[in-house]
Parts: sequence; structure tokens; C-alpha cells
Amino acid sequence: MIMKKRGDKGQVTIFIIIAVLVVVAAILLFIFRPSGINIIPSKPGTPEGFIKDCLQDTIDENINFISLQGGSLTPKHYFEYQGNKLEYLCYTNEFNKMCVVQQPILYGHVSTEIEKSISSKERECFDSLKAEYEDKGYTVDLKRGETIVDLLPGKVLITFKHSLNLRKGDSTSNIEEFRISLNNNLYELLGIATSIIAYETRFGDSETTQYMNVYPDLKVEKYKQTDGTTVYILTNRDNENVPGSKFQFASRSNAWPPGYGIGS
Amino acid sequence: MENNKKLVIGMLMLFGIIIISLNLISAQEVSYCCEKLKTGAWCQNAPQSSCDTSFTNTPASCEATGFCKMGYCYDSQEGICSENTPKKVCDLEGGVWELDTGTAPPQCSLGCCVLEDQAAFVTLTRCKKLSSTYGLETDFRADITNEVQCIASATSEVKGACVYEEEFETKCKFISQKECQDLKGSAGILASNSSSSVNFHQGYLCSDESLGTNCGPSTKTTCVEGRDEVYFLDSCGNLANIYDASKEKDKIYWSKVLSKPESCGYSSPDGNANSATCGSCDYFLGSTCKQYNRGDDRVKPNIGDNICRDLSCEFEGKQYKHGETWCADAKGIDLALPGSRHFRMLCYNGEVQTEPCSDFRQEVCLQSEVNDFKVAACRPNKWQDCFSQTNKLSCENIDKRDCLWIEGIEIAMAQEGEADSQGSGTQTTQPFSNPNSPVTGNVIQEGTDDSDLRVTDPNAIEGGGSCLPKNQPGFNFWEEGDHSSLCALANTQCIVKYEKKALDKDWKCVENCECLEPSWELEHNNICVAIGDCGNSKNFIGVQGFNTGYKITTEKVK
Repeated sequence: MIMKKRGDKGQVTIFIIIAVLVVVAAILLFIFRPSGINIIPSKPGTPEGFIKDCLQDTIDENINFISLQGGSLTPKHYFEYQGNKLEYLCYTNEFNKMCVVQQPILYGHVSTEIEKSISSKERECFDSLKAEYEDKGYTVDLKRGETIVDLLPGKVLITFKHSLNLRKGDSTSNIEEFRISLNNNLYELLGIATSIIAYETRFGDSETTQYMNVYPDLKVEKYKQTDGTTVYILTNRDNENVPGSKFQFASRSNAWPPGYGIGS
Repeated sequence: MENNKKLVIGMLMLFGIIIISLNLISAQEVSYCCEKLKTGAWCQNAPQSSCDTSFTNTPASCEATGFCKMGYCYDSQEGICSENTPKKVCDLEGGVWELDTGTAPPQCSLGCCVLEDQAAFVTLTRCKKLSSTYGLETDFRADITNEVQCIASATSEVKGACVYEEEFETKCKFISQKECQDLKGSAGILASNSSSSVNFHQGYLCSDESLGTNCGPSTKTTCVEGRDEVYFLDSCGNLANIYDASKEKDKIYWSKVLSKPESCGYSSPDGNANSATCGSCDYFLGSTCKQYNRGDDRVKPNIGDNICRDLSCEFEGKQYKHGETWCADAKGIDLALPGSRHFRMLCYNGEVQTEPCSDFRQEVCLQSEVNDFKVAACRPNKWQDCFSQTNKLSCENIDKRDCLWIEGIEIAMAQEGEADSQGSGTQTTQPFSNPNSPVTGNVIQEGTDDSDLRVTDPNAIEGGGSCLPKNQPGFNFWEEGDHSSLCALANTQCIVKYEKKALDKDWKCVENCECLEPSWELEHNNICVAIGDCGNSKNFIGVQGFNTGYKITTEKVK
């Protein structure tokens, strides 16, 4: 009987250990789960790591924000849809007329908007970086250059052309530029949006299935509104929650009036 | 008395014409070209009061102005061309603008850009940009003039077993010949001058026994980006043939590359969806490679963790194939109730999407079925000139309009300019002209482009009938608009004749007595409803309108 009791205790101990291991494994899995966001790995404690940590959330938030607003940080001419201001990329205020393209250089426009959206935080982060290293006794020479936002297939690459020179005693460290990369499909989604706009301006409408037939990961949603506006939502099915994997915009083309439209 | 009646009718007609002319005049007022609207839109024709005064505006159509001339805007950095772009907008965004002369400028000409096993139908500049992005040489084929041909021209590079010696072991990678050549001289692999140490075996798998590598068959499978199928992996992690459970230990199957037609289930009509044994998935047929998930997949693959996921959908108890589109059975659409509209449904990737057609039933959803595959589309509801058709033949010409000839009823158009005023209540024999629409009653009535229209006299109705919309349109009856005039088409006057003979005590109805029956009222309400959102009806969610929707007045005519 005693032997049996000891065995029971042993089993309980083993179960506890297993349970602890399972919990630890679950925590580790949660912490290191793949998020779909891949910032160029930089060593913690390095200037690159500092800038990455400082800017990452702002970049994510702003890319997401801009993507949900038709590529503009503060849309001027927009359609309000489910709490978002969707910029009109093609528009006509008339009935039975094809739309006039409002944003012909979409890639360039979105790049500029991303750059604008992070500029103040970027300044703040580089100032903090300078202060951080000065506090550590370094002589810091930070030369600010331009910020370039490149929309590339599968990613958004942000390059800060700021050179940083750190000196302490005899040791010197030089960094010519800082880079942050965000994996998403914004580039691909802008390509689809450009194509949809071409159809809207030529035919007054677009066929969503032609895109979904060719791109298995792409979801194209089209919602015609009462005033003749069409809301488009482009999503990457595999990474719906990654910032920049959803792009939505508005268009108004070849709208039909109620009745004959006289007096509308 | 008869003369007086004609005078009243004549005056009402005149009044109607004046009202319509006023409408036209007010419509013509929107002929200012605003470089920018107060709302922020560029280059729009609108009333001057809508123009942003800090920008130019001129009393002309935008096409006729210099600042809002439409043309091509070329993004020299991305190599993308935008049509129908105003010069001003293009200049502001830093693009290169060119006037639209009917043909695309040379820099906007499209061709086929081949990017390894992919292809894109783009401009030469864009092709160069894409090629440099992917680190490839530009392969632009200007002779390919359409997108389908372009995509079809993309062929994947032939791959094979690249066998090399490393750390005294014969290793292998399943890559292209070029990649294999690049492997020579790379770190760890014997120097490039000893070319015999890196050998490429086209069409062979790394698991082929005759190659003597350290790779062999395994029970692992994988999905590959850009491909539909489930693939076997060899013990070194290299790609092998399409997953076929029956070939797990088949040495020949693990030896050479087999094409898709040589693999399992090639002729499967559903692309081997939910097959536990075959990974020859096909996106077009409704399956694609996905990691097995108990919630999403009905069966578990016999080997590995990947399966051809079934992409079909279930909606309201019915099964739809991946890629099928169909018309929804939307609330109230069968009776064209106010507020109802057509919807197109789509099944893609196992998900049902809803696409509303234009509101006010200005678009209708049409569905057809080809080889048991449903296809639907929203297309314009061509009801606008129904009322001006005066015979069945032209009324039901489906190439030109969506109308139905209803025998035995006559709407106001068919009557001699009778009028009533339930609303703005004016009408003539030609009450409508839409300045925005090419479809106007006038044009068609004149018979200039309507060869099938034989009756040019609007009052000459053959056999007593009316041409009504097949799909009744919706009207914005709660706002200003032309709905009153449209609904007034259903106005009618019925003169009931009473007679009292010498010995009779009471008047006795002798003519048009049916107009006194409740069924007459119902019948005429049906005519109202057949025109559009007129008359008395409930809306699409079953709520009754605030008023009856029509009015019956009785007066004594001597």
C-alpha cells in the first residue's frame, strides 16, 4: 500500500512537471509566434535596434491607416465607409459619365504619405538615439538626410539616409543609413487598385472575379453605394491582420441616377 | 363643353412643357468646368457655386478647357500609365502628361514581361523596374498583345538535381541549371575549377538512387508559393513530385520529375479536393494546397500535413463551386418593392461574398449556367425608354431595352395628353428628356436610330397596351426629382356614364361601371407599381408607406 502511495506521489510530481513544461512552452510559443511582420533583424542595444524599436509601432499603425484610407493620411475628397474615410481615386460628380482619375501616380503618392506620416516620430526617435548615446559618454555626430519609402513586391522598405558617427575614446563607429522593412502586400494591392481604376475610367465598372481567378490569395470586395460610389476592399487572404495587407478606396464612375435623374 | 375640356388639357400640356424646359435649363447650368471642387475633386463639370474659388473655373465643359484636358499620365518611375487623367492632376503629382489622341502614347504601350516562371502585361519601363526588383534580366515581348496570351507564355525554368560534394559527402539541391552553376565556387563547395564536383541532372530528383546522394524519399509534404499542388519533400528538404500516397515507396516515382498530367488524379473534376491520397490540386477546379486543419478539411491526408483544400462554399443550404457567381434571392426583389435591389453572390476560396448591384434597381442581376457552372453579373436595367414605345415589337426588343408589353392597359403616355396633379403632376406625350443620358424619349420617338420603331406617332398604340419596365426601377421619392412625373404616367381618368330614364327613380350606371369596382382601383395601383416605386405598396422589409401612394378624386361632369 505504502509503495502504491509513493507511486501516486511520483505520478503527481511528473504530471506537475509536465504541466509546467506545457505552460512554459505555450508562453514561449505565444511570445515567439510568427506575427507576419518582419523588421530587418537588428541587434538589441545597437543604434539600428534602437531606431527599429522606436519606430516599429508608428510605421505599422500608419501604413495600416493609410491603406484603409485609399492611400492618403488625411483624405480630402473621400467617401465615409464603416468609419474610414476612403479617398476617391477616380471620380465624377455627374451621372452616366466615366470617372476622372484623381490619383494617377498611386505608388508615389502612397510612398510620400507613409514618409510624411512617420516624419515627426522619426525626428523624435533620432533625437532620442542621440541623447541616449550622449548619456553613455559618446560623442555623437548625426547628419540627417532624406527618408526614402520604397514599395517593393512583398515588402515596404524604409531607408533613413542619416549618417551616425559614434566616438568614445579611440573607438569609432559609423552607420551610413538605417533601414526598416515591413513584410506585406501593399505593392501588389496598389497594382490591383491601379488596374481597377483603369477599368473604372474606361468602362465605368470592373469585374472583381478576374483578379481573384488569377491571384488565389487575393480577395476583392466591391460594394456599390446609393449615391453611385463604389467601395473597393482588397485583402490578402493569408495575412489579413498584417498592416498593409488590406487596401480600400472609393471610385464613382458611370453612376446611374434614380429615375431619369432630372432634378437629382 | 368639349372645347373647354380641350383648352384645359392644352394649358396643362403647355404648363408641363414649361416645367420640363425649366428642368433642362437648370440642368444646363452645370456647365462650368471647375479645376477643383469645394469637395476636393479635380476637374468636374458643376455649377459655378460648387467650384473652389482658389482654382480656375470656366463656363465650358472640362474637355474643352486647357487646364482640365484629359489625357494619359505617365508615371516614369513605375512605368504605369493612367488614362482619362486631367493635365493639372498629372502635373501636380509629377507625372508626364500626354493628350489623348485616340491611341496610347508609345510609353504606354503594353507588352509581355516575363519574370522567370511568371509574366505580367505591362509597359516596357515597368518591365525593367520589375525585372530589376527581382534581380532578373529584362525579357519584354512586345509582340504579345493580350494579357491571357502573356500569362500563358510564362513557363517555369527546368529544374533538376544539382549534385555536389561538401564535407566529404555527396549532397544535392533541386534547383535550376543556372542556380546550380552559381553554386560552383560558393563557400564550402569545392572550387569552381573542379567542375566535375558540381553536376546538374536535368529532370532528375535528388532522391534518385543512381545519383548516390544523401537524399532519399520521405513522408513529408509541402505547399509551394505560386503553385496549387501538394508536393513530396525528400529527406534533404528538396521538392519532389506531386504527393501521391500510393507512390510513397515507389523508387521510380522518387527518381524523375513527372509532369502534372503524369501524376495522380489529373482528370479529377474537383481538383482532388479533400483527397487523402492525391495532392494534384487545381485552383481553377476548386482546390489548393493548404496545411491540414481539422476544422476546415473533412479528411486527414494519409501522409504529411498538407491537403488539397476544398474551396467550394455552402450558402443557404446549397453547395456552390469555387469561382461560381449567382444572383441572390434578395428581399423584395421578386416584387421590386421600394428599397429592394439586386445582389450578386460569389464563391471564392470557400468564402461567400456579396456584391450589390446599383441601387434603385438601375442594375439587374442576370444569371446563366454553362456546364453546371453558375455565372452571374450585374448589368444596367434598360428601362428608361419603355414608356415611349408604342408597339410590342419595339417594346420587347431585348437588344435595346428591358421592357414588357402589357395588353389591355394604357398609361398616360398613350392617352391624349391627360394630366393630373398628384405631386408635380404634369405630363405631356413626351414628358422626359434626360440631359445626362443618351437614352431619351425624344430621340427614340423621333425614330432616328431605332429601325424597329415603326410607329412614330406617340398616340398611335397598336391594340391598346402599354410598354412597361420588365424590372421596375426605384425612385428617390423622398427627395426632389422626376419621380412625380414618372408616377403620373399611371394617372387615368375614367368617365362613368349614368342614365336615368323617364320612369326611373335613380340614376343607373350604363358605361365604364367597372371603374366603380374595388378591383379597378387595385388594377390601377398595379399599373402604378409596374412603373417603378409608385402607388401603394410595402417596402422591401415589409413596412407600409406613410400614405396611400395614390389618390382617387370624383367629380361630376355634365
